[in-house]
Amino acid sequence: MKRAWPIVAGQEIRDLWIAGRGLPLTIAYSLLLSVITYLVATNTALNFLEQRESVNLTLQVGVAVAALLVLLAAADAISGERERGTLESLLLAPAPRVDLVAGKGLAVLTLWGVALLVAVPYVWFLGRGVGVVGLALANGLLVGLLLGLFLVGLGLLVSTFSSSNRLSLSVSFFILLALFAPTQLPSGAQGSWAGDLLLRIDPMSSGLHYLGRLIVDGRSAGEELSWLIGPAIAAALAIGAALVASRSLGLRGGAGS
Amino acid sequence: MKVAVEAHGLSKSYGALVAVDGLELAVPAGIVLGFLGPNGAGKTTAIRMLTTILVPTAGTFAVAGVPHTRPEEIRSRIGVLPESAGYPERQTGLEFLRYHARLFGHTRASAQERAATLLDEVGLGERGSTLVGGYSRGMRQRLGIARALVNDPQVVFLDEPTLGLDPAGQRQMLELVRSISSERGATVLLSTHLLAEVEEVCSNVVILNQGKVVAKGTVAEVARRAAAPRRARIRVPADQTEQALVTLSNGSGFDVAELRSGELEVTWPGEADPESMSSEALRRLVEAHVPVVGYDLEGGRLSDAFLAMTGAAE
Repeated sequence: MKRAWPIVAGQEIRDLWIAGRGLPLTIAYSLLLSVITYLVATNTALNFLEQRESVNLTLQVGVAVAALLVLLAAADAISGERERGTLESLLLAPAPRVDLVAGKGLAVLTLWGVALLVAVPYVWFLGRGVGVVGLALANGLLVGLLLGLFLVGLGLLVSTFSSSNRLSLSVSFFILLALFAPTQLPSGAQGSWAGDLLLRIDPMSSGLHYLGRLIVDGRSAGEELSWLIGPAIAAALAIGAALVASRSLGLRGGAGS
Repeated sequence: MKVAVEAHGLSKSYGALVAVDGLELAVPAGIVLGFLGPNGAGKTTAIRMLTTILVPTAGTFAVAGVPHTRPEEIRSRIGVLPESAGYPERQTGLEFLRYHARLFGHTRASAQERAATLLDEVGLGERGSTLVGGYSRGMRQRLGIARALVNDPQVVFLDEPTLGLDPAGQRQMLELVRSISSERGATVLLSTHLLAEVEEVCSNVVILNQGKVVAKGTVAEVARRAAAPRRARIRVPADQTEQALVTLSNGSGFDVAELRSGELEVTWPGEADPESMSSEALRRLVEAHVPVVGYDLEGGRLSDAFLAMTGAAE
């Protein structure tokens, strides 16, 4: 039999974008980016905010909000079906569990792709004239891809093992908040070896830090590439763990159910 | 005899709770088997193990000739209507079936054709383009049956398909069950609480209680053996009540009680053969020249067997 993940992904994408929450969430996301862009553009006009910083700020807000959307969508992907009673029908298909999870993950990843696409005109508007638009978009795409994979894997993993959708969503939300916490450390603490290590191992912090170094400080991607090691390892581990955990996918959360 | 479903020592425990305990089963191909038991007897757990949704704690099984070690292959040969199945509210019936047909290996075109055919078969042909969210309970159950048939299965598991349906809906559902067996030649394992309908539709029955099989065989065998009429009400002329009481009480192995003048209740041990005990009681009365004006055996129906075997009457 053919692999089932493209069929699952196709149906999930349709459910997400035509009949589901994808479109309203994207509209809300673009409204938020519009407000942010208006505010930072006004500040730039008054010379309170340097143009590169405004691009970086908008991109970072975009990444943060898109991360929230993706993580919550992934966290709902399995436990939501479990709660709605639709998971059993899916599990009865003669498809490997890994295909079901991979198909769902791919569908959620489109949310991240659309969120990045929506951010393009805002970044272009704020960055025009200072030569950072291409740099910001290319590296935003790279960081976004790594963080998107990480968050999709993490959300699916939590969802696979959660006995209820509420538990899955709240655990995921807590993890996301914890991942953003190192970005709020005072600059002195970030400069210490422990702070530096924390920033580097936390994929959200290191990804956003990488973007800041390139867009605001004008560093080259080659110089700052080490900041992407954390997100790359985290993405690989999360996706790998979610796919391995798919073998335990059952009607109840947890293994062997 | 070709066996469609067999299980040996199949068990499932959740910590100290034993949901199914050493299930032994051999379901002949082509029959409709009633899978009965009170709430919490382990029916759904057993079905979920046999349909590879749950991993057994112990034991082995095979469905449609495929051993439990090949779960994907089992799933490709079975159809299942799960208990309290959920349906995606924002998909149409046609879309739902088309999706599941594709998961069972149909191409886009054949999935579309299959979905349309099945919707017609279950009487939803004109509602195929309606969102499932707008379906009634009965329509959803019929959609679930259609989904269970999407792969033309050899064995169909139906877990409480009539749950929550009105009498007309129950009747339609049982007609569908009958047609799955008679027209498709599939083996059907039907879990339900509607014992009268089981008598009507099923040829064989298995009764589970507290995770164990307490009776199995043809409906007639189980009704006769398990229900084991242990009581009879005998009506005699009122003036001969005392004589009848003495005749039946004299070292015969019966317990006899006078219910009212002219009516006695005779009970005998559960292990005694009901037919020979009935004959013996009547023979004694005839020999004692006591006219028998009425004789009713209690039990003899599947519902009596069910109550007797599961202790649900207590």
